[in-house]
Amino acid sequence: MSRATAEVRVGCVAYHPRIVTIWESFLEHFEARSVPTDYILYSNYERQVSALLAGDIDIAWNTNTAFVAAEQQLGGEARILGMRDLDAEFATVIVTRRGETFEDAAALAGRKLALGSRDSGHAAILPLHYLREQGLDAESACELVRFDTDLGKHGDTGDSELRVVRAVADGRADAGALGEPTLAALRGERVPAVADLEVSWRSPTYYHCNFTALPSLDDGVAQRWFDALLAMSYDDPGQRQAMDLEGVKRWLPGDRTGYSALAAAMAAGAPET
Amino acid sequence: MTARRLDAAELELGGGLEVLLVAALEGLAPGGRIEVVSPSRATALELHGWARRAGHRTVGELMPDGGPYAVVVERGPTARVLADPIGPRREPPPLRAGGEFHSADLRDGEPAPGVAGAQRGFTPVRAVAELGAPSFHWALNDRDALWADDVAELAEQATRAQWDASRDVPWAAARDLPDHMERAVAQVMTFIAQNEYAALYVPAAFLPHVNPAYAEVVMWLAGHIHDEARHIEVFTKRALIGGYAGQALASTELSLKTLLEERDFSGAALLLNVLGEGTFLDLLAFVEHHAPDAATRAAAHLAHRDEVRHVHFGISHVRRRMAGDPDQRASLVAAAERRAEKLVEMSGLSPLLGEGLTIMAAGSLQPAELAEGARAVRDLMQTMEDNRIRRLQAAGFDLATSTHLSELHTPNLM
Repeated sequence: MSRATAEVRVGCVAYHPRIVTIWESFLEHFEARSVPTDYILYSNYERQVSALLAGDIDIAWNTNTAFVAAEQQLGGEARILGMRDLDAEFATVIVTRRGETFEDAAALAGRKLALGSRDSGHAAILPLHYLREQGLDAESACELVRFDTDLGKHGDTGDSELRVVRAVADGRADAGALGEPTLAALRGERVPAVADLEVSWRSPTYYHCNFTALPSLDDGVAQRWFDALLAMSYDDPGQRQAMDLEGVKRWLPGDRTGYSALAAAMAAGAPET
Repeated sequence: MTARRLDAAELELGGGLEVLLVAALEGLAPGGRIEVVSPSRATALELHGWARRAGHRTVGELMPDGGPYAVVVERGPTARVLADPIGPRREPPPLRAGGEFHSADLRDGEPAPGVAGAQRGFTPVRAVAELGAPSFHWALNDRDALWADDVAELAEQATRAQWDASRDVPWAAARDLPDHMERAVAQVMTFIAQNEYAALYVPAAFLPHVNPAYAEVVMWLAGHIHDEARHIEVFTKRALIGGYAGQALASTELSLKTLLEERDFSGAALLLNVLGEGTFLDLLAFVEHHAPDAATRAAAHLAHRDEVRHVHFGISHVRRRMAGDPDQRASLVAAAERRAEKLVEMSGLSPLLGEGLTIMAAGSLQPAELAEGARAVRDLMQTMEDNRIRRLQAAGFDLATSTHLSELHTPNLM
């Protein structure tokens, strides 16, 4: 069947060429599960959210920041059609140089704190939010060293987080915030910049990406698409590569409980997206 | 559920702790837990992200002021590698005298698989292939179409018999031959070098189509190719060392081109190894015997040693192939007949080669010695024919067929 007439159109942001590899593989899976699906690439989440609201796509593969933005514009009615296992227990960590760890967030007062892209939930918005909850208004108490690269991609590229760890490693910052999975990946890949960095602080866990749909999406279609998504298996040799690239080992149903912190942060301060 | 305790001591993630963690978790069923205890708060905090990335999860932590800190990791449901388990430790392969581990013992007495999947990848002997690898499309997947019973031992011998064409030949000895002799030697060496190219290109063309399941064949062909590279080298060097060059004859090119056109492995083994290189054994012995200098003698001697191995493989392979599949006899004869048809316009040994060999055997241009040289070349032709028939019989052909095949053989010798 021609993809042009596919039943479900999924938007995703092209933060890396591998997105095409991932979705070409995923589409085969949806086709095999009789839910013909196509993907449409956007260069930034703002345009993707607009496309979702305009009905140009049925489902958007959103960051948490993009989901909250869509949710706000939909009056809290956005529908969630699944998330990665990774997204269900996401956290932000703050790293410091070896021997300079702190236990209390207050220790950051007066220090230089490096942050990733200002539209990244995990590398900028949420660390500020959780530090504030713990009594530290980092925006006034710390000297923020921001790396606002790849704006519109909400931190997906990891570029700003790499700059964060380099800044801490070479002393341009005293501490730096990044996504916990990003640090695990840099550690796993033996990136020299993190060799002498330690974790001083770990945020509460929150939700990250999800498949966001409009409330008007047909229930039957939504259910079939959701069932197909959750049937994807990391133990299937034909699917493992794409799932590895997407950073997922298992798809989970999503809900909105893990977005309240980000929603609050974005409602309170300028969301800076 | 109780959790096994793992004391991380001073180890950190990225500094070796991950190796201990993996070993401990691999030993557990999904859902099994280990309690990781570390004096480092930073390490404990980082364990959550490590566990998630590795496909596990953390299900509890104890973070008292001042430590030690404990994090409980639960093994996830996914396998790290999509492959069957390695299996228990086996009795290791045997060693031979002197502690040598021979390639013939790689399979510990088990035969190589009769048929190998055309899509399998570069999976070494006994290794367990992970699923999800890209598919290959090997063309040569049938053991009997490739095998010789002593192929592993022959590959072993090839490795042991390596030599160095730059150092193992006394090149200075070939500097000062008289003009007429140097021209003759340069022409003969050029002819041999030309043929050695074909002897390299034929196995090289088959190698990338051989299923990697047949490691012994891969090693054999690679050794064969390497031998021929050195033969090209040594005969090119010998052609040039005296200051002359020879002519690369068109008739030789024609003969060699038809050799490259044989697409069947066994057909090529017959035409190249048994017939071509077999005939070259006699040629090289002749050159060694009549060499006017020590460099030419050494070059012919060293190459001859390798060719004996190649011919042995050819005979061994063809004999095994025909014994296993009687229909092969007709196919192999047809291969030789097909080639002969393409060479119908060729007649007799190239005059340039014949003259060069005559001068080498004569040792001078004196009439009496030239007559002696010419007789030696005629004898060589007869020896070649007798030995070809003998080798064909050794490969399993009856006398009549052997004689027929020998008569079909190219006048170019290879």
